[in-house]
Amino acid sequence: MLRVESVIGNISEPDMAELLHRVGHHGHVEVLEVSGDDLERHRLMKTTRSGLTVAIALPRDQKLSDGAVLHLDEHRAVIVRAGEQRWLRLRPASATDALELGYHAGNLHWRVRFDGEMLLVAQDGDARIYLDRIAPMLSEHRVSLVEDAA
Amino acid sequence: MNVQAKIGSQEKSRVGAARVGIGGPVGSGKTALIERLIPAFAARGISIAVVTNDLVTAEDAERLRRSGLIDPKRVMAVEAGACPHTVIREDPTLNIAAADELEMIFPNVELILIESGGDNLASTFSLDLVDWWMFVIDVAGGDDIPRKNGPGVLKCDLLVINKKDLAPHVGVDLPQMLADARNARGDKPIALTNCRAREGIEEIVDLIAKQLLFR
Repeated sequence: MLRVESVIGNISEPDMAELLHRVGHHGHVEVLEVSGDDLERHRLMKTTRSGLTVAIALPRDQKLSDGAVLHLDEHRAVIVRAGEQRWLRLRPASATDALELGYHAGNLHWRVRFDGEMLLVAQDGDARIYLDRIAPMLSEHRVSLVEDAA
Repeated sequence: MNVQAKIGSQEKSRVGAARVGIGGPVGSGKTALIERLIPAFAARGISIAVVTNDLVTAEDAERLRRSGLIDPKRVMAVEAGACPHTVIREDPTLNIAAADELEMIFPNVELILIESGGDNLASTFSLDLVDWWMFVIDVAGGDDIPRKNGPGVLKCDLLVINKKDLAPHVGVDLPQMLADARNARGDKPIALTNCRAREGIEEIVDLIAKQLLFR
């Protein structure tokens, strides 16, 4: 088990990228996949793709992020790859429906973004949990779920 | 810059104690659970402190201070003054400050338990405040609770179903309640407890020791 107590840097930093490139030549760079939810945590135990268990305990002033470098020595590096946040794309049929949808989103403490006429809801877990809450609006076609083109 | 120079140039911040949230409805057994967890962690040599949240009193803190289970100075009270979830989710500043103060007074503390005031099924913790949190419900509160898909039940890291011994007395089909909870939570863990009889406590301590303290 590898114990991590600080974020060393990020692969987006030029000097860090250079160091990781060198480690990649002489050793290997391990990728730790962390879901969007878990990025918020200061303590976390996860396993890399190659089976290395990483126990993370960060100071309160540090955060995990995509590309965070958790470990670095001459032979091995461990970097964070953030899981992609899934978004439910909801299109209200009218301004009135948008108001009502916005009310529900706020009342249910959903994390949202706006994209033109669509409300994007951060999906953590099963989509059903979210869609059930606005089932009357969906069944009456006052809100439609838009499939992501990607 | 080489690898050693890069690592050596880093400023080291202190890693504080693990912080665990304990939420759940009024009367589900949050404080009773803490009263069982305190000696269980002590038996493993894990130094702990507690922050309690009450609406307008320090009732739960006083109960723990009087219990004789823990140094009273290791228990701090936060008075929410409003809906309990506001100080564990929307603006957890008061609780963060209390936990910070406990860490300053007791620098070797390894684990801080933060008990929310009794709340509804929508109650969740901010991960700015805690590293991991459990939600305590009880069989006497109704066997339909797991089917209601409340965010507290769905999102917590550990769902605790307490007072399992009361199931036959309140007409609850405990295996069905457990199956409903598993159906709602997928593979996320669930603990069955009877805090009064200390049943199920060690499993919770095992989980926290492994997942948060890496023991």
